[in-house]
Amino acid sequence: MVVANDPLAMLLLKQDVETFLYHEANLLDDRRYEEWLALLTDDVRYWVPMRRNVKFGELEREFTREGQDINWFDEGKDTLTRRVNQILTGVHWAEEPLSRISHLVTNVEIVDATPSASNAEGVALRCRFIIYRNRVATETDILVGRREDTLRREDGGWRIAQRQVFLDQNVLLAKNLTFFF
Amino acid sequence: MAITFQPSAYSGLVDHDNGMVSREIFVNSDIYAEEQERIFTRAWLFVGHESQIAKPGDFFVSSMGEESVILCRDRQGEIHVFLNSCMHRGMKVCRYDEGNTPIFTCPYHGWSFATDGALVGVPFYKDAYHEELDKSQWGLIRVPRMTNYKGGIWATWDENAPDFLEYIGGFRTYLDILFDGWDGAEGGTEVIGGIEKWLVPSNWKFPAENFIGDRYHNISHRSVDLVGIGPSGQGRRDTRERDGARALDISFPERGHGTIVFLRPADAQPVPSYQNDPVIADYFYQSEIARKERQGQLWRIMGGPGTIFPNMSYLPRQPRSIAVWHPRGPDQTEVWRWFLVDKSAPPEVKEFLRQYYIRYSGPSGLTEQDDMENWNYAHAASRGAMARRHHYNYQMGMGYAVTDFEDGGLSIPGTVLDVTKARAGEQNQRGFYSRWADFMAARDWDELAGWRNNGNGSAC
Amino acid sequence: MADIVNLFEVEPGQTVRLHGDATAEVVSNPRDGVWLFVRYLTSPDDPDQVGTEDMVFAQDVLELVTD
Ligand code: FES
Ligand SMILES: [Fe+2]
Repeated sequence: MVVANDPLAMLLLKQDVETFLYHEANLLDDRRYEEWLALLTDDVRYWVPMRRNVKFGELEREFTREGQDINWFDEGKDTLTRRVNQILTGVHWAEEPLSRISHLVTNVEIVDATPSASNAEGVALRCRFIIYRNRVATETDILVGRREDTLRREDGGWRIAQRQVFLDQNVLLAKNLTFFF
Repeated sequence: MAITFQPSAYSGLVDHDNGMVSREIFVNSDIYAEEQERIFTRAWLFVGHESQIAKPGDFFVSSMGEESVILCRDRQGEIHVFLNSCMHRGMKVCRYDEGNTPIFTCPYHGWSFATDGALVGVPFYKDAYHEELDKSQWGLIRVPRMTNYKGGIWATWDENAPDFLEYIGGFRTYLDILFDGWDGAEGGTEVIGGIEKWLVPSNWKFPAENFIGDRYHNISHRSVDLVGIGPSGQGRRDTRERDGARALDISFPERGHGTIVFLRPADAQPVPSYQNDPVIADYFYQSEIARKERQGQLWRIMGGPGTIFPNMSYLPRQPRSIAVWHPRGPDQTEVWRWFLVDKSAPPEVKEFLRQYYIRYSGPSGLTEQDDMENWNYAHAASRGAMARRHHYNYQMGMGYAVTDFEDGGLSIPGTVLDVTKARAGEQNQRGFYSRWADFMAARDWDELAGWRNNGNGSAC
Repeated sequence: MADIVNLFEVEPGQTVRLHGDATAEVVSNPRDGVWLFVRYLTSPDDPDQVGTEDMVFAQDVLELVTD
């Protein structure tokens, strides 16, 4: 948590950021994928590592490394856009029929605000998520984890410049990751 | 468990001559239990890659069939595969995925095993066992047969199994494309860090038969072909290098393995590919030239997806990877996915491939997401009392394969179905299931190594 | 008896007091929290042990000798 020398500004900023995060989650759950893509900066980085069981004292090897290892996701806007376009072909059978998804975003903490809380152009935040997915008849997945986002103000609104997702799973219990975190 | 069935009980399930397979073999839990005994304790299984355990003390916990095993390099540099179950009273000795360790210590009562499997630490050995316990008899259970073939580590629980090279036979030509460097250098590949592991709700044989070569299911991948993720941004692979090539489905029915390949014309020359980046384009172009020099005619074979019976599948070129379909009950498969790159490739090439592998493969891959949908619901829709009365149809291309395929002076190992015009065939699946039936019926490896009696020898 | 010793906190070169009142120098720590590799310094019950190396079990490590 940033040291708030201006508690009121922090409160307002947190409110502002949370409103943005809930709006973003709604776009995904309402399947307004193209509007969601518009909330990503052109240089966005989207990273979801895999997670290993490692010995005590070796936690630095728990996550696969961004930019070096195989990860569940490690990409930018081009690939994310192709994912959206694939769903919109109507023949992406893993998402046709579409999943029913709810993103629950919680435990939001502002980690950093630049240049200051009252006048933030950039925000680093941490939150938790629960993604509930139900599909076809009885397919059900619940994915829970931590998210670390970097937001940047562009054209008067918040945009996502970086998203890091730390899933609480080792063997992925879902057959696919056709949705966005 | 005891083997209780009569071999004849299984003979009607796979009707090779009519290209039909009973749905029971996918959904029946008794048959599943027999598979664990008859297939997974007798066949050669893929365990891991030597680059994952490069240093003494390195280990990687893998799986053979349903059972956890430890792949480990001991203090002397020897590679071992152990059953990951304590010899005292069964505790899973190592619950980490990978790491480096001087000993494996069981959390239950503290027995401790060296990296060569020897039992070295027994609590209260003097006072409670009176030094009478023969530690040499209680080391970790080691697989009786193991091999390191071009960096791939394979093992079998059956000490009477043939050598690995006899097990793969003539299929070696195709497996080499996976493990050799792009320029043909022997075993010139290594694993990129991070093994994908996930659960798919289907029987393990659905993915095994899909990867053995199923050109017919291209339509499943319409969506990814429309959006394009290939190495040069289009389709799901780069296919220009296949221009003018023949499409061949290759099966080894007496062994169960199969693959699909493209065969370049006899006068073909390397063509530039992956041209978005000069470093990458140059690497592949130069590698193709070097491979052609090294291999001559064999260079004409461009590898495609394949399966080594029973549950190791691979893609030798795009995206270069290994999949193992670990059985986890009749209705569930745990997929493990390894990704390979040339050891000697420049960092730009490794990075380019890493990104392509991620967007192609596994649960987050734009291509394979749609494969898993098929396996999931083909399985689900075959479980019912009515559904399972009917056989699957694998009749495509029956009677059109040859065992002496030759093109421009190059003979192609295996039973070859030329699908250049047909575009698809199902002989590889027929070969896989007739081998499945052999495994379920045979008493031992004398019966399973049928090629020894039919004059084909180990080269077939 | 002293508080039980967390073997992760034991370093090679240190001395431990063992069951049977023996003492030993830690040769290496496999960092499994359960075993240590040691060389015996004293062993009232079995003087032949002195100078030999062995594995010792956590429950046999009574305390870390700090001097
Ligand atoms: S089960 Fe492993 S020590 Fe008892
Ligand atoms: Fe496919």
